[in-house]
Amino acid sequence: MPTAEELPAWTEPFAESTRGRLARLPALEAIDREWAWGGSTGAGVTVGIVDSGVEADHPQIAGRVVESLAVELREGEPSVIQDTGTDLFGHGTACAGIIVGMAPDVELVSMRVLGSDLKGKGAAFAAGLEHLIRRPVQVANLSLSSKSEALLPVFHGLADEAYFRRVVLVSAVNNVLGPSYPSLFSSVISVAAHSESDPWRFYYNPNPPVEFGARGLNVPVAWRGGGLTVGTGNSFAAPHITALVALILSKHPGLAPFEVKAVLAAVANNERPG
Amino acid sequence: MATGDKSDQGNLHSALVALQEVVRRAAAASRFQAHSEERLLQLIVDATVSLFAAQSASVALFERDPDRLEFRVAGGAQSTGVVGISVAPTDGVVGYVFSTGESLALSDIAADPRFDRAVAERIGYVPGSVAAVPLVSEDQVVGVLEVFDKNTNESFNVRDMELLAAFAAQAGAAIAGTRVQHDLPVLLASSLRQIVPDMSDDQVRELVSTATKDLDVERDRPFWALVDQVSSLRDLGEEELELVGDILGVVATHQTHRGRSGGR
Repeated sequence: MPTAEELPAWTEPFAESTRGRLARLPALEAIDREWAWGGSTGAGVTVGIVDSGVEADHPQIAGRVVESLAVELREGEPSVIQDTGTDLFGHGTACAGIIVGMAPDVELVSMRVLGSDLKGKGAAFAAGLEHLIRRPVQVANLSLSSKSEALLPVFHGLADEAYFRRVVLVSAVNNVLGPSYPSLFSSVISVAAHSESDPWRFYYNPNPPVEFGARGLNVPVAWRGGGLTVGTGNSFAAPHITALVALILSKHPGLAPFEVKAVLAAVANNERPG
Repeated sequence: MATGDKSDQGNLHSALVALQEVVRRAAAASRFQAHSEERLLQLIVDATVSLFAAQSASVALFERDPDRLEFRVAGGAQSTGVVGISVAPTDGVVGYVFSTGESLALSDIAADPRFDRAVAERIGYVPGSVAAVPLVSEDQVVGVLEVFDKNTNESFNVRDMELLAAFAAQAGAAIAGTRVQHDLPVLLASSLRQIVPDMSDDQVRELVSTATKDLDVERDRPFWALVDQVSSLRDLGEEELELVGDILGVVATHQTHRGRSGGR
């Protein structure tokens, strides 16, 4: 009878003498919001914001930005550089404000992938996402997706890399039909908007491609220039889920992305059978 | 290529003349197509205004040299002065939607002094709410469809966004279906490379430049004025079209007779 040490490596975790280490989550029925994020403020979690930039001195952002980065094209090749803490449009700041409002102690890393010089947008987006995955951040909020069929393998590879490095990717789904990478990939948490006003209310949808519905109607948001506005759209729903992921990971560090999804599904506001 | 060969040079000359003819016809065709694309977009914009009972809607398309988003059609009570305005592709809501290909709606924008202020002041209308969706053609974002201020003063909701996206899909398909590539030299160069794959870049460049040399100059000539006129006549009813055809036929016959009798 071979000993645990003589078995091939893949089967090692399941050997009788070692599988005691496998205890992780309680049964899903036992998971409630108190277990998931009760008492959590997001401390210790770094959130990446892939967007138009984040206005670091905006009152709603409250100094949570620890790094401002941008993608620059040099002779057609993208590279990540230090950026000023400004927002080209306002959208990145809006997403950051939603996240900070629900998880006030997170640290934010802004990755600006939009700009007048970024004509090869897909490549810039991929480069920025790759940098955050390897930095790493614990969760990244993606407010855009690439429409390029040619970049499918690149984003598929990045989604897998994120998954195995335990970086959770949260992405808004796009209303326009067609290629949408990486939001359509299975390991990415895809989010659309519902019409209710409670930021803590969200739903799990077992029929993909959109998996979660969160608040996205008339959301009061921060905007460029220290301003405020009211926004509607799937891209304002995604940061609500990003915030919940940050709260979960703060309380339960090291959860795998599939466990994070399972926890979200377990505590969603779906009506329960029976 | 053989040098000093008379038949080769003769062939080249004929080829060049044929090329110039192709270029003229393609340019004429693109002027026709441009009108039909805009008519279709106008239909969509007007339908958008009607469906949402909104104050205004517009379509901006991406144009190059310089890179900009140009407002091409607009509809609704507050649409005067919008057509022809251009903004940088990184400006405002329309710039964000173009750059990301994502939909966006904002309300309470009058409170934000930075919102698309330049455009608003130029047309003398500051909207309170906007919903904008990308126009996608062949997996590329080519423009933005915007709608402003529902008459009920309600903000745009999530179903509105999805409906608007459906309209945008129609507009995107329209653009794909009717747009002849406006950049004729590029179209010509790629066609030449397909026909004669081992032609050098310099040879292609020279042929294209010779063929398109006088094209811009001709833009204001009577021929192009006629092309534009004929294009605008397509909205006429059958009887009127027959009448125009008869008139043109008379003029053409008259010219032929003048030619035969040696007059000019």
